Amino acid sequence: MNIENHDNVCKEEVFSFLFNAHSKAIFRSIFYKYGNEEKAYDVVQEAFVKLWEHCAKVTPGKAKSYVYTIANNNYLNVLKAEKVRLKYNNSGLENDRTQESPEYLMEEKEFQQKLDNALNSLPENQRQTFLMNRVEGKKYAEIADLEGVSVKAIEKRMHLALKTLRETIDGI
Amino acid sequence: MKENYLAKWLNNELSEAELAAFKETAEYATYKKIVDASARIEGPAYDSAKAYKNLQARLAAKQTETPGKGKVINMKPVRKLMKIAAAIVLLIAVSFWFANSQDETVSTLYAESTTHTLPDASEIILNAGSEISYSKKKWNKERVVSLEGEAFFKVAKGEKFSVDTDLGEVWVLGTQFNVEQRGDYFEVSCYEGLVRVIFDGVEKELPAGSSFLAINGKIIPVEGPVTDGPSWLNQESSFKSIPLKYVLEEFERQFNIDVETRDVDLNQLFTGTFSNTNKELALQSISSPSRLTYDLDGENVIFYAEETP
Repeated sequence: MNIENHDNVCKEEVFSFLFNAHSKAIFRSIFYKYGNEEKAYDVVQEAFVKLWEHCAKVTPGKAKSYVYTIANNNYLNVLKAEKVRLKYNNSGLENDRTQESPEYLMEEKEFQQKLDNALNSLPENQRQTFLMNRVEGKKYAEIADLEGVSVKAIEKRMHLALKTLRETIDGI
Repeated sequence: MKENYLAKWLNNELSEAELAAFKETAEYATYKKIVDASARIEGPAYDSAKAYKNLQARLAAKQTETPGKGKVINMKPVRKLMKIAAAIVLLIAVSFWFANSQDETVSTLYAESTTHTLPDASEIILNAGSEISYSKKKWNKERVVSLEGEAFFKVAKGEKFSVDTDLGEVWVLGTQFNVEQRGDYFEVSCYEGLVRVIFDGVEKELPAGSSFLAINGKIIPVEGPVTDGPSWLNQESSFKSIPLKYVLEEFERQFNIDVETRDVDLNQLFTGTFSNTNKELALQSISSPSRLTYDLDGENVIFYAEETP
């Protein structure tokens, strides 16, 4: 469907299309930034409620950043950032690489732990940018759009994130 | 190295030379490990369809609350109350409209009289067994009162005021007058101001202190009232040369009693007054000048001609 033909998001099909298209990315983005899955889910839901209530004032093109901004602000206003508890898919390590030694697997687990800690000590914006790109596969331009900053700013965040992670892990 | 080269590296934007140089650095191994390990990170589970259902539930819940207010208050009991209140208001509004669109009717039973004030503060005093009706809604446009029975009018100054009866019409301009129309009896007395009576297509003007009487379609010349108002306002019924038939009917109305007559000439004229409050006195007032006797038995009275044994 061509949702750009609509002036606002008051039609349910437009609204549900936008929800399905963007809610996951917004939810995960908020989660990567602030760390609490449950609360992230909640603020995103509330942000979409707000979108529905103000549907006449928002064009489909603006809906995503509108919801993200509201969710982000609500999170900032109400909640304190917590540790990000990330899950790793280690099935690849354990099944496909059975030839790997237990020591290697142990090392990998240890490294994941270090990475987790390093990610948690990153500034919110850097952690969010890093995970949105690495885990969600979002392009810098997409993240820049969501955050409302330039692509260059995202590149900077990404660069600093990786640099800081490396330094934390290597214990510099 | 280039600005933000780590970001460029992740985005495969480094040239081969740059990439080669980067790989030579001591830090490269850890960078590679970070990138490999982060590739195994899984985002938290998220089911869009389920989340959308959740959202719809939230929106539905929101609709029963007041939007905009920060505090979430369950409005359901209030809403229920509001519904009842709305229903009551509607009912009142409808009945008010209905009552307004209906003609206003005031009536008196026998042995009863009442005072009614019209919308323009004109006053109507209804004698026993009478009924008036008028349209409250159209009152400002035309002051018309329909009358059956007898009533005394104190009309407020203003536009044409008229009284409709089955027998005739009475027009006035700020005055006090009495209209009686019962059966074929039609009498109008003017106490103040000017009254115009339209009877049988004939118009007659009644200045203060004059009366108009028509019985059985015949206009009977009568003297005007000498009092300030009709006698019935003072709990008396006065007659001057009026057939006995109408006198007895008036008696019936004033005391809510059944009158029977034996060998009585109902056309004989009666002049006199009877009390509207004291039945015994009234019976005597009627019977003695007409030379009648009577038997009172509760709700019935029988008049006899005196000659009858």
